[in-house]
Amino acid sequence: MANGTWKIARGKGSAQLPLAIVAVLAVIVLLAGKAHFLPFDRARAALTDWAKPAITAVNVPVVAVSTWLSGAEHFFDVYSENQRLREENARLRQWQGAADMLQARVKRYQLLLNAVSDPASTSVAGRVIGHASRPFSETIVLNAGTRDHVKPGETVADARGVLGRIYLAGQHTAWVILLTDLNSRVPVSVQPANDQAILAGNNSEAPALEAVAQGAKLKDGQEVVTSGNGGLMPPGLPVGVLYHDSSGFRVALYADPGTADDVRIMDFKQEQMPAPTDQDLPATAAGFKPSPPVEAPPETVAPPAGVPAAASPNAAGGTGAKPTATTTAPAIRGTAVSPSTTEPKPRVTPPAPTQTDKPAARNPDDDEDNQ
Amino acid sequence: MRRTSSDRLLVLLPTPAVAIIPALFAFTAVVLTSFPVSLTGGLFPPPLFVLMVIYFWALIRPDLMPPGLVFAIGLLEDLLSGSPPGLWTSSFLVTYVLIDRQRDVFAGLAGWAAILGFALAMLIASVSAYGIAWLYFWHVPPIQPLALQLAASIVLYVPVLSFLNWVQQRFIGPQRSDF
Repeated sequence: MANGTWKIARGKGSAQLPLAIVAVLAVIVLLAGKAHFLPFDRARAALTDWAKPAITAVNVPVVAVSTWLSGAEHFFDVYSENQRLREENARLRQWQGAADMLQARVKRYQLLLNAVSDPASTSVAGRVIGHASRPFSETIVLNAGTRDHVKPGETVADARGVLGRIYLAGQHTAWVILLTDLNSRVPVSVQPANDQAILAGNNSEAPALEAVAQGAKLKDGQEVVTSGNGGLMPPGLPVGVLYHDSSGFRVALYADPGTADDVRIMDFKQEQMPAPTDQDLPATAAGFKPSPPVEAPPETVAPPAGVPAAASPNAAGGTGAKPTATTTAPAIRGTAVSPSTTEPKPRVTPPAPTQTDKPAARNPDDDEDNQ
Repeated sequence: MRRTSSDRLLVLLPTPAVAIIPALFAFTAVVLTSFPVSLTGGLFPPPLFVLMVIYFWALIRPDLMPPGLVFAIGLLEDLLSGSPPGLWTSSFLVTYVLIDRQRDVFAGLAGWAAILGFALAMLIASVSAYGIAWLYFWHVPPIQPLALQLAASIVLYVPVLSFLNWVQQRFIGPQRSDF
């Protein structure tokens, strides 16, 4: 174009020494990044915090135009769409009633069986202020950070399903690694058979299903939810629908990061199980080890007539622990408790935590108010 | 420094200000490329504006685009884009080495050949980034997003080149050949 008439007047290789130095520096930076060098992450979080107003300001008109464009497609079928939504709403109301009834029944059964409660999760609401789609990373930026008690590792979902996980949290912003990202690996289960697998992101719209359990018979249209294995995500969160193509089984995600707006950032809390006493150990219980003398139990009150003996906490044959089923009421689907949920977690679980949304920081008292 | 008759049309800036212009454009390009706002809803990755700036000034005024500046630009790109630290830094430096070694060839290109020259530089940067990402993540990254970015960058290089040429002639003036 314009560079056809230049004369060559500068010797070659004059920048060799600094080039060698910066090349070595680049390799050092690469290795430091691989070793999760913290200052780089801190700098990235601080920079995003600093740029938050600009990102938010620029994102507003972009989202407005995108929304308008997507809305314009449906302009001519508003009436039929309205009719369809009315019918769907009526159907969903029926399902809601059935779900409420079943949830109450599950609670009663858990109480009767002195069952280990499902892990609880609290959440804060955040807003997507940025979306970075790069060749090697798929991320979004949220307007909530450590000041809103957002921490790396927490699950991010919108009304449709799981979007990803927080991997970097600044004071006012947080970066989310999406399920579609190359590095995303999430344990999932395929319903209804609860087949375990790993959802592996590959920077395409539909992540692949890997490490499927042996003997699993998968077919198109099956629902995929989080399994909760590893204790990273709450179990039962909707992820997507299974389908098969030439490369294998993939999952069409429910949530669309491109149109995601308001999201929930879920803090997955696991119940801290009481440490087993000597009497709980199998060897002691079987009489192989002498058990220390047990003090006489306090006078027990007989259960009222009509109440089965198993309903009494002490009668359940456990440790006499208070039934924890009454303390938590997860609003998430799926009640299977994975083995990992029994591992103690150092974080203190607030009283009566439930899955609630609120725009401000988490407060256990507010949680109770919302119930 | 030899002055030409066209210098009368220039807004000649003092040397420090001239030295800042490529850096300023490069950092603006990084922000444009890495700003976490997608005009296409995440369907297409943004074009690599920053490599256009590096390529342009590394060819015609390498004294204004030294390796240290390329390193800083790459680091900022990694920082803002959420990429692994050093990924684009290394890729830009590999491309810079190519330009530095073959400057005579690249600088002699004109017309569509000049676009092909940038396409080659872009290809080198993309292949480097792909290889580094492969080693870094230990997964085979998908080619499609990178190919889309490559195509978008080459297409947009035509208007960007015109603009950079205008800036060069209007504010910086002398080219490498004038020394």
